[in-house]
Amino acid sequence: MSSASLNVEIRRIRDLAPGIREFSLSRTDGDDFPVYSGGSHIVLSLPLGERTHRNPYSLLGDPTDRKTWRVAVRKQEDSRGGSRWLHEQAREGMRIDIAAPVNLFALNRLGRRHILVAGGIGITPILSQARELARLGADFEVHYAYRAPEYGVFVDELEALAPGRIHHYVQSRREQIEFSSLLAGRPLGTHFYICGPGGMVAASMNAGKALGWPESHLHSEQFLAPTGGEPFDVKLTASGKAFTVPSDLSLLEAIEQQGVDAPYLCRGGACGQCELEVVDASGELIHHDLYLSAEERASGKKIMPCVSRLKGGCLTLNL
Amino acid sequence: MSTPAIKSQPIYAELEWDRTGTHHILFVSAEDAALAQRLLSNPPGGTLTVVHLRPADDSRSAWSQNLPDTALYLETHTLAEALEVLRDAFYVAQMGTRIYLAGAEDAIWQASQLADTFGVSRDEIRHAQLGTKARPVFCVHCRTITRGVHTNIVSCSGCGRSLFVRDHFSRRLGAYMGFQIDAEVPGEVPAAEVVYP
Repeated sequence: MSSASLNVEIRRIRDLAPGIREFSLSRTDGDDFPVYSGGSHIVLSLPLGERTHRNPYSLLGDPTDRKTWRVAVRKQEDSRGGSRWLHEQAREGMRIDIAAPVNLFALNRLGRRHILVAGGIGITPILSQARELARLGADFEVHYAYRAPEYGVFVDELEALAPGRIHHYVQSRREQIEFSSLLAGRPLGTHFYICGPGGMVAASMNAGKALGWPESHLHSEQFLAPTGGEPFDVKLTASGKAFTVPSDLSLLEAIEQQGVDAPYLCRGGACGQCELEVVDASGELIHHDLYLSAEERASGKKIMPCVSRLKGGCLTLNL
Repeated sequence: MSTPAIKSQPIYAELEWDRTGTHHILFVSAEDAALAQRLLSNPPGGTLTVVHLRPADDSRSAWSQNLPDTALYLETHTLAEALEVLRDAFYVAQMGTRIYLAGAEDAIWQASQLADTFGVSRDEIRHAQLGTKARPVFCVHCRTITRGVHTNIVSCSGCGRSLFVRDHFSRRLGAYMGFQIDAEVPGEVPAAEVVYP
């Protein structure tokens, strides 16, 4: 039950940095892509052997470029296949399906100033947001942290967009972003956006809250890769299926393999679309998502099958 | 002659400090001794600026008497002056600021519109209706806002049409909607009643 899917051809593959590749995509039917908003992502369907693997990636190019969409992919060390396939198997000329863009990381256009922060490959949605802000003539600045100079992908594009407003923090030079000073003394109406590793995002949110920033001005995006884990049993009450989720499949993927149409959008624990009702769980729910509140987790009534699992026993879902 | 309350009509909660904020700006344009006592006797952490709109006479006000020593108190005597002072306060304000607007709807929603121009979001601002219930009324025909309306029907200060005052409220305009009551049968205007004292 994905949103409308498009068939695209991989037109160009570029190695940007060790373990980071950029893919340029064009529609195979020759039509223009729709316009998207800065911060949007698409879901790529990747043909991994007999099963399809779906991964979300932020669109990073110019939102008004209707011919080419670009994504950048970092090879995950603990990849279950998606990013590894893109790094090792994907070739120019191959065709894949993608789902139309969804934006869970939109700009607030009423903001008077925008602080964009990227950690590593988190630069991808930040780049499309920066393009949109530059086009709008908005007041913005970018703070970009990366491991070593050679990992600073897209710095040229960023510098061209906002000369003098791009700040670099290179870990190998022991530079890091001090969020309490970055966020202090900012004028009313400032918005903060961050995409990066979990620890970095959490540190920035904590600094913002301590300085009195309201939630409506603190925006973050993280996509989680399903981690795999111990196998567990599942029963679906509405569709009458019973099966085992193997260790290398997510719950959502296992449900799809049974031919059951489950809702999803981001497949990365961020959007909340795939939420399922837990009827019974004879084991511990292992929540990995970024969506459910602490109360919802404690209730034991909900699970996000794209990234979360059960530890031991059997999980009964209303699906 | 009553219309049912509708979703856009503001519902004002009891005014409380938002203690997650680190700076606080309070605009107050009406007396409420109990509220003043309750808020000022237990002020929030961080800076507090009070912009007070009050008559230029010697009357005593609970809003100026129980202030914490650290509060910045700014007295004004006209709404225009109060809005200028507020504009300056918003201009220098930092993220972490919470804004509290207490008084007649006409005054607090004009102040709210001003805050909107600074990019303030709804979770940074609180409104409380104090004193008169008089309504600002936006004429849907000529787009003039008639202020201080106590009656359910009012003559538009812009085009003179007899307007029925609805409960439908625009936060953006800071006014209730008014439309011509005798559009179908010109001249057939019921007697106006005071319903917003």
